Amino acid sequence: MELKEQKTENCMIISIHGRLDTTNYSILEKKLMELIEQHEDKILIDCADMDYVSSSGLRILLMALKRITLAKGKFALCSLQENIREIFEISGFTNIFDIHLNREDALKVF
Amino acid sequence: MKFRFPKFLRFSVLAFRYSLFFLVSIIFIFFIAFVYSYGYSIKLLVESAQKDATILTRQTIVQFENVLQPVEIVPQTLVNALESPHVGYEDVQRIARDFVIRDLVVFGSCLAFEPYSYDKDQYWYAPYLFEKPDGIHFKFLSGPSYDYFKKDWYRLPKLLGRPVWTEPYYDKGGGDTLMCTYSVPIYKQLKGKRVFTGVLTMDISLASFDKIVKNIKVYKTGYGFLVSRTGKIITSPFPGYENKNIMEIAHTGKGKRTIAAIRDMMKGNSDFTSMDGLSAKRHQSYLSYAPVSSTGWSFGIIFPAAELTDNLLKFLKQMLNIFGWSILALLIVTILITRKLTRPIIRLLDATRKIGQGNFNAKIPIRKSKNEIAQLSNAFSVMQDDLSNYITDLQETTTAKEKIESELNIAHSIQMGMLPVAFPDRPDMDLYAMLESAKAVGGDLYDFFFLDPDHLVIAIGDVSGKGVPAALFMTIMRTLFRSNITLDLPIHEVVQQINKELCRENTNQMFVTFWTGILDLRTGGFDFCNAGHNNPFIIRKNGEVEEVNQVNGIPVGIDESVRFTTQHLKLLTGETLLLYTDGVTEAMNPAQAFFGENKLIQTIAHPGRLDAHGICDHLLQKIKYFAAGAEQADDITLLVIKYKEVQGEKPALMKEKSLSIQNQLGELEKIVGFLDKVSENWKLPLRMSMELNLVLEELFTNIIFYAFDDGKEHSIGLEMELLDEHTLQVRLKDDGKPFNLLEKTVDDLSNQSLEERKIGGLGIHFVKEMMDQVDYQRTEDKNIVILTKKF
Repeated sequence: MELKEQKTENCMIISIHGRLDTTNYSILEKKLMELIEQHEDKILIDCADMDYVSSSGLRILLMALKRITLAKGKFALCSLQENIREIFEISGFTNIFDIHLNREDALKVF
Repeated sequence: MKFRFPKFLRFSVLAFRYSLFFLVSIIFIFFIAFVYSYGYSIKLLVESAQKDATILTRQTIVQFENVLQPVEIVPQTLVNALESPHVGYEDVQRIARDFVIRDLVVFGSCLAFEPYSYDKDQYWYAPYLFEKPDGIHFKFLSGPSYDYFKKDWYRLPKLLGRPVWTEPYYDKGGGDTLMCTYSVPIYKQLKGKRVFTGVLTMDISLASFDKIVKNIKVYKTGYGFLVSRTGKIITSPFPGYENKNIMEIAHTGKGKRTIAAIRDMMKGNSDFTSMDGLSAKRHQSYLSYAPVSSTGWSFGIIFPAAELTDNLLKFLKQMLNIFGWSILALLIVTILITRKLTRPIIRLLDATRKIGQGNFNAKIPIRKSKNEIAQLSNAFSVMQDDLSNYITDLQETTTAKEKIESELNIAHSIQMGMLPVAFPDRPDMDLYAMLESAKAVGGDLYDFFFLDPDHLVIAIGDVSGKGVPAALFMTIMRTLFRSNITLDLPIHEVVQQINKELCRENTNQMFVTFWTGILDLRTGGFDFCNAGHNNPFIIRKNGEVEEVNQVNGIPVGIDESVRFTTQHLKLLTGETLLLYTDGVTEAMNPAQAFFGENKLIQTIAHPGRLDAHGICDHLLQKIKYFAAGAEQADDITLLVIKYKEVQGEKPALMKEKSLSIQNQLGELEKIVGFLDKVSENWKLPLRMSMELNLVLEELFTNIIFYAFDDGKEHSIGLEMELLDEHTLQVRLKDDGKPFNLLEKTVDDLSNQSLEERKIGGLGIHFVKEMMDQVDYQRTEDKNIVILTKKF
């Protein structure tokens, strides 16, 4: 898995490339916690190139969402692949996360 | 704590309330009557007291007059007699002496003369005789020690020229006692002139009036008193008040009314009035007074008002006492009466309460009397019977209805059981069909079977009407079809045969729209016959949809003599034929719009890689989306057959694969690699492959985190097996602590809010959600998780 950061005017975009699973979720965890520590509380996760996510990965996303919601920030996801979206649905996360079809839509909420 | 009535009152709130209301009213009315009669009694009492007091006053005054009259008459007569030349002073003196002795009141008498008028040598001459207990005494009042010329009893008659009663006085040197004196002037004719010569006096002791006054008793402490013209108290029952002025007493701290009354009394008037008492306590009192006319004195009677009403109050107290007991008795009687009245209501209440709780056998007391409560009770009893009957009827009806419904359900199962669901698994074609019934039992049917390995028969039909009759007719139809179909006859003759047989016994005029055809799987040639059914559609290889144009016959079951025709079409490889019933095109949304053929064509066009099953699912999904919850009016039946190109021989499939891994996180990559290989080899759908990946990762991480706590290396076994072409089984074995993931309850996550969502616990949820079946075994000290998934 690879993470790419892009700072825009309103938020920080993290793009996840490849598989987010038990072996590598801590990389994302570390990255997100660092950002939250630095009060970077407007974060968009771009999942366009995320091929796979396990519950460990979801756990990190949920944790980040909770922290940022507490800090009155904004946390959103965009461009989920079809099968990833299904995983989100099964876990009930589509009700909790702010999920957008593409990056353009997502940027409007920040 | 809630207030509760004492037990003896708890029989009925109504009874208690009415009793209370009744009693309060009575107490109120009695109170008013009391107040009125009290006032009236007081008025009467005062009036009667006034009358009594006035009479008593007059009577007492008459007594006084009786005493005083002789005291006045005797000296006047004597003085008159003196004017005669035959009567001398000595005569007068002698008669006066007799009078003093005889009369009880008069105790002294004096003849007092002007200077030198009795004896030319004597300045003073006043012989005075007076009674003492030891007898009659005599002395001359004279000299500077007793200058009688200055005494009232001498001065006043001389001055006024008429008889005078003196004020009470203590006659020191004279009578030496408290006395009053009646003094009569004496005149002599001298040289034709009437000249004042002296006075004749009669002294009376006031002690005799004391007796009369002190004998007066009015009520408890009422008393009489006698005052002189100037207000000096002549006599009263209280010692030490003699000679004091009553006006002074009235002025010392008494009220205005008292002063006014005493003043009026001093004027010589008579009246009966209310005022403050003369004693220090100033009790409200009544005063009756009148003058003693001869002496100018006044006599009064005083008595406290409280004593007047004393008896009345006593009487009232007694009355209240009696009233109190009467009220208590009345209360008891009222309670007893209302209790008797409400007892049947309470019984009725108990009974209705029981009925309300569902006990229809609760006994309602039937009463013979004709009062309203009895009527109510009897009406309730009738209602109870009616209700009970009604409930029984309802229960019977419901049971009957349930029975019919369950029979309908059975019919539905039987009908559905007739539809073939074992779809052929062949490389050269792909077939799928479905029937989504509208009501419990519908009239649609589909069928397919092989006449020989190369000839597949398919059929679809729609029986007119719905419900059980339609289902029965459909069963007949299917039976006839199955028994008549044969390769030896052209298909239209088979249909004709069926038509004939259906018409023969068709008393209900039911009919079936029917489409059937025989596909030669070697060539794709399709002989078919249409009896009034919707035209099927062909999805061409390029994804475009065409309606199969054909001659439409009329439905079977209508006319025995109808001739049907066999028609022919050819399916090319990669082409798909879709058969449907009008439940598809006539599916309605809540706005009553039909799904229609155009939407059907759009939906099935360009199916891409969808197989027959996928096309059916997709179409049904679209129809349901269109209907948007509106009730399905008709059965929906679909049959899809895809004619495939045979691509040589299929590679032999490996049925089983396995992998052994260590309990290290890094081994996850091995699992992923293994899964990729197996998926490719077994042609697992992409989605399923990813789900397996996810599920295995969850289970694997679960095992390495929780199953071992000895820190040693363990090996974990992963086995995958194809149970049949579309069923995969995965077994994961570890020798860790017993752990049955099925015992973990899984929350319903769909509606949880962010706050409720726990971090973690997702893994097991995924496993249960994504696999068709999850089993757990503990065998030979190993945890075995068995996952089954169809694809």
